[in-house]
Amino acid sequence: MSEVRKISDGIFEVIKDKKQLATRNLDPGKVVYGEKLIPVEGVEYRTWDPRRSKLGAMILKKFNISLKEDSKVLYLGAASGTTVSHVSDIVSEGAVYAVEFAPRSMRDLIGLASRRKNIYPILADAGKPDSYAHIVEPVDLIFQDVAQPNQAEIASRNASRFLKGDGYLLLSIKARSIDTVANPKEVFKEEVKKLEQAFEPKFEILNAKDLMPYHEDHLGVLAKLR
Amino acid sequence: MKINTWFGVLEIGGTGEILESELFPKDIRELARRSLVMRENKQNLPPAGFDLKTAALECRFVSSSAEYYSLLHEVTLETVKMQVSGALTPDQRIIQAVEALDDINETTNSLSERLSEWYGGHFPESGLSGESLALFITKYGSRENLEPENPLYSKTVNSMGAKLEAADEILLKGFAESVCSLYERKRQIEAYIENSMESIAPNLNLIAGPMLGARLISISGSLEKLATFPSSTIQVIGASKALFKHLRSRAPSPKHGIIYSHPLINTAPWWVRGKIARALAAKLSLAARIDFYSGKIDPSLVEKLETKIRQIRASNPKPPQKKQESGIKPKKKRRK
Repeated sequence: MSEVRKISDGIFEVIKDKKQLATRNLDPGKVVYGEKLIPVEGVEYRTWDPRRSKLGAMILKKFNISLKEDSKVLYLGAASGTTVSHVSDIVSEGAVYAVEFAPRSMRDLIGLASRRKNIYPILADAGKPDSYAHIVEPVDLIFQDVAQPNQAEIASRNASRFLKGDGYLLLSIKARSIDTVANPKEVFKEEVKKLEQAFEPKFEILNAKDLMPYHEDHLGVLAKLR
Repeated sequence: MKINTWFGVLEIGGTGEILESELFPKDIRELARRSLVMRENKQNLPPAGFDLKTAALECRFVSSSAEYYSLLHEVTLETVKMQVSGALTPDQRIIQAVEALDDINETTNSLSERLSEWYGGHFPESGLSGESLALFITKYGSRENLEPENPLYSKTVNSMGAKLEAADEILLKGFAESVCSLYERKRQIEAYIENSMESIAPNLNLIAGPMLGARLISISGSLEKLATFPSSTIQVIGASKALFKHLRSRAPSPKHGIIYSHPLINTAPWWVRGKIARALAAKLSLAARIDFYSGKIDPSLVEKLETKIRQIRASNPKPPQKKQESGIKPKKKRRK
């Protein structure tokens, strides 16, 4: 018999054989990337693998991502949509603007967005938010997972355009994308400093933790506008 | 001020109120097309924090939130589909072809080995392998089907192999046929690559040859990316293991990556390979840039390369002599 415990709006812990992070399937019956479907009392849940998803890892590392059913999310670095699908599950009455740069990944994202009406796919460079300024409305959360060296600048540019005053920024920083040979701890310190001081708008860091054991040399950052 | 949105061009006043609006037709393809045009146009951007949804409701483009989101969903989806279908450039097709070729080579190697093992139980003395073995088996099947005129007939007479049962013969012949058809396919793909490289990247084709040229494009990801790389990168592309080892520790830098397969490098004596690799990479870089930006063939590139190589060979006819040690010199500390 399976049990379900709510972690926060739209995010659950399902206990069947073992404890697993999960979200309610917005598209029941359909598997997106090989996750398990677990029915409990008439509701279908999708398991969320923290080793595949930085956001999943952040939740398990106790980042308070404060999403609601009707939240609007700007997702930078949507890739093929594995994590986007879970965000879509969570904000069932909201919106996920999924920005991705690579046409090959977008192909998969198109399939996902065709089935989920709350995903708005955008093929564009996240570093140039002006190119989608005519589409995206103000959002409650910006989630950024782009493997780019100028991540702090990208975050600032997008936040200045689209983040609501009381909104949050959730970043996953990959040390190797910034500098392939430097010490990750040094890289993280630098990037956090950049977020706090280097660009307009400046951010106030609420939480910064590595994502071990799920991801090596990655730092999760939760911030809000100063 | 005038602002562009996905649903129309608006004129907004000082406090953000909408003064005028020129709404676009509510046709999905039309809206998608305009959205694509707008992304290039960096003027008339909405101010930061502009609430598009509320504006759309205010100027009556849509009559409800639900309609706004439903329409936006269809438009973004259509826009993205248009972009993706235009994204398959000729160099992407060559990349798929050369990667398919590598896959076929791997596959034919394993399957040929298997065929050799399998058939070896029946006729180990054949001395055939690879495509010739596959063709042989497809044509004859059992070794008993050979005529005395056939050059291999003598080997079949006292063969130590076992008799080939009928069921096995059918299976083996079918398997061999599949292998033959893979070898055919390999030739087809090679011909396609040779033809395509001539038109997609004529200068790269001239200097590196079709295969190496296609592989360079494949590793880079696109002809455009290859054209942006400095020649030092092209020199070591394909040697990433050695390169990162050099960057992270005191290992020496790699002299060449995939360009090693070029005859100019792999037939050269070891002491000039580094210099030749540098010269070749420089010309390859130029060739890729000409190909990407103009596509016109420039025969002078090959001449210049050959001249340079001759120079290098001429000024380095002998390997460098090891310096004679006069007493023990302390090892110079390398600055890392």
